Amino acid sequence: MKNIKIEATDRSPELDLNFEMNSFCIKGESYPEDVTEFYGGILKSMENYFSNLEGETIDFCFELIYFNSSSAKVFMSLFDMLEEAAEEGNTVNVEWVYVSDDDNMEELGEEFGEDLEAANFIMKPVE
Amino acid sequence: MSVDLPPVSSMAGDCMLAKDMYDFRNYLQNTGIIFCYSGYVTDDILVGIGNAIKQKLTIDEEDSNTTRAVFSVFVEQVQNVIRYSAEIETTHDMTELRYGVITVGKKDNRVFITCGNIIKTCDKERLGSKLAQIQGMDKKELNKLWKETLRNDPPEGSKGAGVGLIDIARRARKGFTFDFAEVNDVHSFFTLKAYI
Repeated sequence: MKNIKIEATDRSPELDLNFEMNSFCIKGESYPEDVTEFYGGILKSMENYFSNLEGETIDFCFELIYFNSSSAKVFMSLFDMLEEAAEEGNTVNVEWVYVSDDDNMEELGEEFGEDLEAANFIMKPVE
Repeated sequence: MSVDLPPVSSMAGDCMLAKDMYDFRNYLQNTGIIFCYSGYVTDDILVGIGNAIKQKLTIDEEDSNTTRAVFSVFVEQVQNVIRYSAEIETTHDMTELRYGVITVGKKDNRVFITCGNIIKTCDKERLGSKLAQIQGMDKKELNKLWKETLRNDPPEGSKGAGVGLIDIARRARKGFTFDFAEVNDVHSFFTLKAYI
């Protein structure tokens, strides 16, 4: 699987998907005009990729400043995908990075994280 | 800080035009409105006004959680217009432009974001009962519904995740109201006002 790197724009996040290292990061603001167009292909590739992994360690980091409700749906699918990969015997570390005084982003992280059982979930406040 | 403008009578130029515009501006200010947009809405407009709102609220020293909540509700409200307003122009390359009115203001220590657009009257009942349902929910119930909706397939006719209104309700710390006005046989005007 080829690595994917997409620069951030005004309304879409930076994507750094390193399949060689199994290290993935979504960073910035997410309210693209067309969420399906922006994330659709990537979600599909990741789903295929994760479902074929065995005994690997996956690091996935969400470092978001703002995202809209359509993006939340995409992230929910990603969390479900990561939990499944962990259930299949991979070690999955999910990091939720948020600005420490951002109550809402903290709450959103907790809400996504509470459904992870097989995957490790870490809340990481930053200044 | 706001600027004190001279009285209308001393303004130069086309008196009628300036007076009308000045009256309009004063009407908006008297109702607490800081930002007002009425017209066809695009994503570029959303980003532009959104950034200006963030700047204005930062100058007003609103706490950062309020600023983030206002921005968030603003985005969901504007995206609802962009996706669902029934007042549409289609350009020759089939791009759709949808019309709506969006205001952001502050009154009685509450920031409000109001959005209005034409809908088809046949959608009124579905929209109204959905809003009444989430209006009656406490935080815990809203969070549960939010999560369920994120996991479900989008409802029929929905172009987003079908979760925008729930998101607005979650963010509107001081509640929200909504209303419909009949426009003609098939159309109504819908308004949603969220308080933060």
